[in-house]
Amino acid sequence: MLNVQDLDVFYGEFQAIDNVALKIEKGQTVIVVGPNGAGKSTLLRTIAGLLPPRRGTISFEGQRIDRMEAYHVVENGISLVPEGGRVFPHLSVLDNLKVGSYNKAARAKAQQWMKRIFELFPVLSNRKTQRAGSLSGGERQMLAIARSLMSQPRLIMLDEPSLGLAPLVVDMVFEFVLTMKQEGYTVLLVEQNANKALKVADYAYLIESGKLVFEGRSEDFDKNPYIKTAYLGI
Amino acid sequence: MVEQIIMALLNGILLGGVLALLAFGLNLIFGVVKIIHMAYGQFVMLGFYFIYFFYTAWHIPLLLSMAMGIVAMGLIGILVQLVIINPLLKAPRLNQLLALASLIIVVENLAQVIWGADYRGIPLTMPIIQFGEIFIRSSFLIAFIGAILTLGLLYLFLNRTYLGLGIRAVAQDLEMAKGVGINPNVIYYLTQATGGALTGLVAAFFIPIYTVHPHFGASFTLMAFVIVVFGGMGNLLGGFASAFIIGIATSVTAVLSSKEIADILALVLFIGMMMIRPQGLFGTES
Repeated sequence: MLNVQDLDVFYGEFQAIDNVALKIEKGQTVIVVGPNGAGKSTLLRTIAGLLPPRRGTISFEGQRIDRMEAYHVVENGISLVPEGGRVFPHLSVLDNLKVGSYNKAARAKAQQWMKRIFELFPVLSNRKTQRAGSLSGGERQMLAIARSLMSQPRLIMLDEPSLGLAPLVVDMVFEFVLTMKQEGYTVLLVEQNANKALKVADYAYLIESGKLVFEGRSEDFDKNPYIKTAYLGI
Repeated sequence: MVEQIIMALLNGILLGGVLALLAFGLNLIFGVVKIIHMAYGQFVMLGFYFIYFFYTAWHIPLLLSMAMGIVAMGLIGILVQLVIINPLLKAPRLNQLLALASLIIVVENLAQVIWGADYRGIPLTMPIIQFGEIFIRSSFLIAFIGAILTLGLLYLFLNRTYLGLGIRAVAQDLEMAKGVGINPNVIYYLTQATGGALTGLVAAFFIPIYTVHPHFGASFTLMAFVIVVFGGMGNLLGGFASAFIIGIATSVTAVLSSKEIADILALVLFIGMMMIRPQGLFGTES
């Protein structure tokens, strides 16, 4: 479904992504783990069309998307849940959801989807008219996920959804990832919380300093002694 | 004397409505495109000349001339985005400011070359409305009602439509707006077209009130800036409130002392606000 090859991304002279390749099949939940500053967020932002790659190709459902504008990528069925539950703080919860369905295809079914979203996230339905900026960190993360579902994506990318949240809320977020998986979404999840992320993953990649250093299924990660000590703390 | 003050108060409110429209356009452009439109008042002057030209040279009926002037200014707004802003979107702030400031010189001198330095206007006699000892010029009343209606429509547009939502999203977080599927270029052009059309509309309201000359716009640029910064840059509600505060304060002071003192008072209020609340009346820090 998604195929990333030979990807190089630079910020000015600094190379953030170095020759990364990655593949996701339809319906899979794939995670990318790695330390802070490894280039995980950069990878997602590049796929989303927010950063242009210097080299390499990204294709989605057989179509090249690496030179597409971000709004075009969304139209094609990829949605990004940005780091830290980045919602529009001065828009109401309802408007934040509505803006998620901005692309033409999603607009037509926005009303229907909104209902579905409120069933999935009852906490948001109580806060419809509240400004998004006044929500708690966990609620904001829920809203960011809900907003990206409003665009009716086929691939949903989550950037560190558990960052800065209380342990109970982190569990909730991962439950949502599982729910999305059951609903048939293809998920690309970037996480520092490797333990929890590996539990929901079909396949995982480890990147360090922009380079791919290991890939495999969750079991392979569990068995690798280096990863065990450096990332899983066992 | 009491009647005079009441009349001044009313005129201040009526004038405040039109100023609110001007402040809205300037605020919208600043909030969305993140540029300071230095020549905004000059665009009112240009709009005035356009309407004057359509009416006197092409003999188009006045209301149609006004509509054409509004459309023409909307197109000029788009042109500004295309020719001046787009190439400078990622340039340092100072370059954008200089480019737009030089637009003042271009527009004013162009007007002088085409229409000359004389005062020009369309002579209209509009009835005066009388309540006891209080007289209101109907031209002021029409301008006020028109301005308030327009602001209402703009409010609905921003809050009830997808495009309006797109404008608000881009104003708050450009990258995230792109990320949810908004094409920012469309939003920029739309904002500039709206901002431009508003200068045309303000010009149309000014037709029965003022005569125009090439430097007519300067005082409106200053006025619009005072209002917008006083209310908090980018804050639409702040701009609305401060338009009335400044409008009433200057209008009442003009009656109590003189027009010059009124202008001084507006700037004193402005400086005072900057010393107490640099972010403006409704502005947030940062």
